[in-house]
Amino acid sequence: MNMVLHELKSCRKSTIVWAISIALMTIFFLSLYPSFSSSASLVKKILEGYPEPVRKAFGISIDDVTKFLGFYSYMFSYVVLLGAIQAMNYGISAISKEIKLKTADFLITKPVRRDEVLTSKLFASLISLIITDIIYLVTAFITAESVAKESFNIKLFFMISVTLFFVQVIFMSIGILLSTIMRKIKSTISISLGVVFAFYIIGMLQATLNDKAMKYITPFKYFDAGYIIKNSSYDMTFVIISLFVVVVSILLSYVFFLKRDIYAV
Amino acid sequence: MNIYLREMKSSRKSLFIWCIAMIVFIAAAMGKYAASSYVSGQSLNDIISKMPEAVKSMFGADRFDLSKAIGFYGAMFIYVVLMAAIHASLIGSNIISKEEDDKTAEFLMSKPVSRAKVITSKLLAAITNIAVFNIITMLSSIYFVGYYSKGENVTDDVIRLMIGVLFLQLIFMSLGLCFSAFLKNPKLASPCTVGIMLATYILSLAIDINSHLSGLKYLTPFKYFDAKNLIYEKGFEIIYIVLSVLIISVFIFAAYVFYQKRDLKI
Repeated sequence: MNMVLHELKSCRKSTIVWAISIALMTIFFLSLYPSFSSSASLVKKILEGYPEPVRKAFGISIDDVTKFLGFYSYMFSYVVLLGAIQAMNYGISAISKEIKLKTADFLITKPVRRDEVLTSKLFASLISLIITDIIYLVTAFITAESVAKESFNIKLFFMISVTLFFVQVIFMSIGILLSTIMRKIKSTISISLGVVFAFYIIGMLQATLNDKAMKYITPFKYFDAGYIIKNSSYDMTFVIISLFVVVVSILLSYVFFLKRDIYAV
Repeated sequence: MNIYLREMKSSRKSLFIWCIAMIVFIAAAMGKYAASSYVSGQSLNDIISKMPEAVKSMFGADRFDLSKAIGFYGAMFIYVVLMAAIHASLIGSNIISKEEDDKTAEFLMSKPVSRAKVITSKLLAAITNIAVFNIITMLSSIYFVGYYSKGENVTDDVIRLMIGVLFLQLIFMSLGLCFSAFLKNPKLASPCTVGIMLATYILSLAIDINSHLSGLKYLTPFKYFDAKNLIYEKGFEIIYIVLSVLIISVFIFAAYVFYQKRDLKI
């Protein structure tokens, strides 16, 4: 419990900064919606004149894009990007900061088992992420209610928004795994940015090229907003893959961390 | 000279990984172009050209002629720019702040070199890193785009684009240098630089969606060297070049001034 509290305290400031910047970005993007929707109705007319296969070539149906939820899911992909960086940072720094700041031997000599250390760090990161997501959800919902002219499906809105947390958990567990494998991590942010952007760019390529196989590689595509809007449910294949990734990387991090050599200063 | 060599050696591995990643990315992207080759490219272009700006940018299609290799490259180019910007921000913000972060600043500062000289060597090392990154990306782009372009000459276009990227890299690198000299806590240097970099990137996306915001384009370096302009239209705009040079020199000058007076956190 002490460790959880200590961890929470040490990432309090960063949680606040992340939550505020994600919330500000959301407000900024959503406030662009009114002017976007007026120009979008024009496109709809143009596109209705084209045959079905041509419309399909775009991947997204035009109907979805011009509606509020379509716009929201476009904007949401950037929220997920930021959220993923935050989660990866927490995951990586949980273990590596003790080593880097040379506090690991202090922590390890305390009368707690190593798996308890890892568990409390895991919980602390999860709690920080949950706090960020709650702040995001509330801001997004209030802003959405005030900018959307037409009424939108609130259940779908929340189903899409909650995927932020799912993607974050995936990245956090990958981060923890990395930090238990790598001997010494000098700079958290370079690794987290590298990994997150690698996946993000794969996701972007996937969207542009419409390649089915690439979807499995990047967590950014596991919870596709388009699919959620169409079927009002998550794609079960990807839910299982995500669970698998999270469970395996967390289990492996326990295995590695329990056996790890920790050097005294 | 010694500091420069030391820096080059310490960043060798990460530079190598970045370059490999860029080559693979460009090869994969252009390979995809060949595979899909947009058979219906022409008709697709017709439709895209009729769409309003906001919707075009949502599809990431913009005004590029996707049936040509260079147009496809131009549409992918924003990711090259983004990666270059990340690399440059990280290099710029780490190269000075890591000494304090790794507790080697004491050792370095007790050597018989002035602080200005330390910064100069580190600055040169950072610029070398950026230049290598840029040249490798340029060469692989010229090779892969040229390979798929069916004999069209793409070298000029790619060189123009990469010169634009070089400016962008220098801007973010100097921002990073400035932050690491200015901020009291050395740990904050890279998060702040990367944060500002991402904020300007997101601003550039917002400007694409909403044309009312176009007045803000001077605030985001991502709009200074637009791939569309460089390939199809005016080429470089003087105002942006002047602006970039101004930004870069102000940041570098500030880095020198602040670092000379800095209380090292040891």
